[in-house]
Amino acid sequence: MTLAPESVARPAHPRQVITALMDEATVEAIANEAWTALVGEDELLVPVPGDLPADTVSAWVDVVGPWTGSVVLTTGRQTAADLTRALLGEAAPELLDHEDVADAIGEIANVVGGNVKAALPGPSTLGLPVVGEAPVVRNPEDVCRIDVLWRGQPLAVSVQGALPPLPTPSPVHDNPHPNGASL
Amino acid sequence: MRALVIDDSRAMRRIVSAALEGFGYETRHAGHGQEALDVLQEGYAPDLCTIDWNMPVMDGLQFVSAVRSNPAWRALTLMMVTSESEQGQIVRALAAGAHEYVIKPFTADALRDKLALLGMLPEEAHL
Repeated sequence: MTLAPESVARPAHPRQVITALMDEATVEAIANEAWTALVGEDELLVPVPGDLPADTVSAWVDVVGPWTGSVVLTTGRQTAADLTRALLGEAAPELLDHEDVADAIGEIANVVGGNVKAALPGPSTLGLPVVGEAPVVRNPEDVCRIDVLWRGQPLAVSVQGALPPLPTPSPVHDNPHPNGASL
Repeated sequence: MRALVIDDSRAMRRIVSAALEGFGYETRHAGHGQEALDVLQEGYAPDLCTIDWNMPVMDGLQFVSAVRSNPAWRALTLMMVTSESEQGQIVRALAAGAHEYVIKPFTADALRDKLALLGMLPEEAHL
């Protein structure tokens, strides 16, 4: 089958950016639910932005489906260690190693990511948690981010698309000749 | 009663185990589905398996299917404990043979309620 050129150029379901699918209040509600269940009933995320320190760590899970991107948790390394202790409670070892911290913040990202995925149009698949330097933002329009404080320390949750912006369609001219001359 | 807690996250294994031990269970751990199958094949006979969905090597759904294909493990109660919360995923897990489905994040009370529905709370946990 051969498609007419205009059928190829214009997909039937244009790609939606995350801000068309989800708002910051939803991300905040999901993060708060994860916090109270995993970190502690009295643990609150305060919706006040703070400056992240220079030394941060991120954990994220990828979502692949009608919307494709990552759910990224970023905070300072010390805050990540504090989160790990809060998550593990009495089971926390006296000395935390890197794997303890990576595992704990990875699991928080996994739980937040799973619930973000459920709020998106599906079906979608959820990747395994990854810990390291956060994936780059490919399209600033395709980001829904909250900046909060936990125990006074800054923390960010970013739901960010994996794809670059679509090219802006060039304006349609009646006369395609750059010099305006008629044939 | 005995439980096998299957999750690739050490933190989550500790959290689920702490809740189950609080209800009176003895627990063992596995980091993925294949490791859990190995534990069962070695002869460990739990009453309950709690199973994460997304894990390396063998995921939770594959584990449930493998257990259900072996008549020797027919009596085993399988409970998904996962952040996969889409309705379609829940249906897939139950169709594959899971008895119950708990969505992360969960509280210990929510876990207790699900176990009570299944008749899987040790006697002391009813007190």
